[in-house]
Formats: sequence, structure tokens, C-alpha cells
Amino acid sequence: MKHEIKVNINGQLRELTVLSHQTLLEVIREDLGLTGAKYGCSTGECGACSVLMNGEVVNSCMVLAPEADGATIITVEGLSDDEELHPLQKSFIDHHGVQCGYCAPGMLISAKALLNRTSRPHEEEIREALVGNLCRCGAYADIIKSIQVASRARR
Amino acid sequence: MKPFQYIRPESLEEAGAYLASERSVKLLGGGNTLLLQLKSGEESPDILLDIKHLPGFKDVRYHHNQGLKLGAAVNLQHLVMGLEIRRHYPLLHQTAQKLASPQIRNRATIGGTLAWASPVSELAAPMLCYDAVCHTWSPRGRREIPLAEFYLGDFKTALADDEIITHVHLPAFPNRTYGVYLRQTVRHDGRRMIAAAAVLAYRKQQALTHWRVAVLGVDNRPKRIPEAEAVLEGTPGEDDVQQALHIVQENIHPEDTDYARADYRRVALNALVRQGVMQVIQQLQSMRS
Repeated sequence: MKHEIKVNINGQLRELTVLSHQTLLEVIREDLGLTGAKYGCSTGECGACSVLMNGEVVNSCMVLAPEADGATIITVEGLSDDEELHPLQKSFIDHHGVQCGYCAPGMLISAKALLNRTSRPHEEEIREALVGNLCRCGAYADIIKSIQVASRARR
Repeated sequence: MKPFQYIRPESLEEAGAYLASERSVKLLGGGNTLLLQLKSGEESPDILLDIKHLPGFKDVRYHHNQGLKLGAAVNLQHLVMGLEIRRHYPLLHQTAQKLASPQIRNRATIGGTLAWASPVSELAAPMLCYDAVCHTWSPRGRREIPLAEFYLGDFKTALADDEIITHVHLPAFPNRTYGVYLRQTVRHDGRRMIAAAAVLAYRKQQALTHWRVAVLGVDNRPKRIPEAEAVLEGTPGEDDVQQALHIVQENIHPEDTDYARADYRRVALNALVRQGVMQVIQQLQSMRS
């Protein structure tokens, strides 16, 4: 079954034709060509596909495309401002928050959701915010440091 | 996923008409479980009814006499963030913080989580402690199901096939209560639970009353142990605590799994309930009278 949906994606209003049984992740990657959000476990455990949906972090592999009708979506591509990287992205580069990089888009989105509500989180709050994002390289310590430094720089 | 029809019904009556039809229908809340089943092929319904947008389903209302009304599509993250939850139902807030991950909590709905009825449903523990009541609708009318009677075991509930949870009601609770939720799990996000316990009581002058002991992971459903709660009424001493723990053990039926044997679940639960009860006693007794 086809649906006409309207989605605000990274600040652009898009009208799309989607199928009932497509996931939001499929639409973002394949129809919109935004490949930042990654396919990972496909079961809502790893967080590689994390995006902001109406300001809250969700696993886009666990959202049906028609459910996103009317939603505002921000993917990792939407974090940077034109050519300028987001402070979180810069900090991930400077402090080695990216090892293989597969989890990084999801980590950045979870970090952004955290900073949206807490401008200067404690380490414990950062850890809690990342519970839904797995890093197979085990780069957690550097990821947490990257987020801490970015949150201080924002001040 | 096999193709299906995705429909957002605008009223309970419209949803009911689909449920009464010949076609196979599944209700969609946050989809954290249902999408897994659709992806694996375990479920392949003709129609998916997204009931999150039904009128009133996202309402949250608190009244100091009437208590808390949570619409069935309110998400679990609201239990973490909501001021009325933090202030008046702190055990619900405390438990919700530990639930799964932000990604899952932002999607998971209260109605969907209760209806899935996992024996290790962490939401059930504080809900049972606060005497939650499920309010439902079906073509035959509305009814109220106390959560203690809702779980029938092994993922079964008292809900009929065409019955929809509309909201959950928690009665008003006195302020001088203290509750604690303790768990032992293999994973930090709560997956692979070994055992968990929620303990809560209310201090009335010098007496500790309204005891609640809810347990998870040690039976085919989340449950309270009223016989153990009764023993703790008043000012429980070490003998009463021992007896309560003994009663808990007599009322659970843990099973072996690949990551925890039944006898280990018993030991773990015993430690958690003891710690919970001692913590509640200590906190309530140190409150200024």
C-alpha cells in the first residue's frame, strides 16, 4: 500500500511516496540518498540508524515510513551548518571519537539529543544517553570525552 | 516485511470496525516488538492499526485527589521527564530511567508495553506497586482491569482480541512513601534479566504501611506478593523481614535459561528484595515525623 507523506528532513519539506512496510531508515537512505544513518542490527539494539524525530532520538529502522508523516527529522547530515561542522563533529575528530566510524552518526545524534536538553551534561548523563548506541571498536571512552569537550566549548 | 495496509483510525469505533472484520489486524503502538515480528515474518497481518493518534491517547492528567491518568500512547520517556511523575510517582520515574534506551523509550508506549505482557516487563513493577488500573474499550463497552489481574502469564493478558487499552489510571498516593527498584541483568539496558524487585511503603506516624513487593524474572508474569507485604505491615523487625523473604520464595516459580539458572534467580531475587525492604525501612524511618 502506498502513502503520500510530508516530512521535514534537515530543514527541507519533502513530499514522498512510501510503502506501508518500508522503514524510515530505508526511505532516508534509499529514497532521499542520505546515507549517514546506518543499517546495523535492524532490531533497535545498536543505534547506528539513530535520527531525531520531532526532537527526540529514535531508531529509524524501528519506525515505519508512514508513521513519519508530518514529522520533523534530523539526520547526521543536518547537524552541520552549511560547510561548517557541528561542534560535536569537530570534537569527535579532535578527540578520536571516530574509530571505524560506523556508530558515529548514531552517537552524534544521541549526543545532540542530550545537549538539546542539558547544555553541560555530567559523564554519567552522557553514558546514560548513549545506552542505545553500541560501538564495536570499543571507543566509548573517546566518544564520551568528545561529547564532554564539545559541551564545554559551547559555553 | 510482507506488505500490509497501514491505517491511522480516527476513532475507537473505526478501530473496532477493523478489529471486527475478517482480516487479520495488529495494533501498532511504539512498534519495538511488533516491528521485530513483522521483520522476522512471525507476524504478517493484513492491516496495521496505528492507534497512537486516537483522541486522548497522548493525554497526561494529574489531580491531587484523583491521581494520574496516562493515555495509552504516552511514551515511556515521559515517565522519565514528566514533572508530575517525578513529584508524585517517584518509583515510576526511577524505574523508567533504567528502561532500555532513550531510542526505545521515545517510541515505546505505555499501552503497548503493558499489552505485550512480558514476564520481565520492568514497567509493570512500579505500576503494580502504585495499584495501576487499565481502562479499556471494545465494541461491547468500556471496562477497568486492575493490573494485578491483567497478567495471566506467558505473555497472555485479560484483554479480549478486540479490546484496546485507552489509558492507565494510578490512584493518588500519599507523599510520605518511599520506593526502590532494584534489578540484576546481564546487559545494562535491561536485556537478559535475572531478577528484579520493586519495594514501596508509606509512613503513617511511626508505622510503615501500604507495603508493596513486586517481582520480575522469577515467574511467568510480573506479580506482587501480597502475603509477604502483609508480614511487613507496622514496624517490621529482622524476623518479619526474614519471614517476608521466605514467603516470596514460596510464591515464585523461576525457570532455567541459558544465562541464569532458576536457583540463581532465587538467590538474586532474595538479595534484591532484602536490599529493597531494608532501604525502604531506613529511608522512611529517617523521615522527620
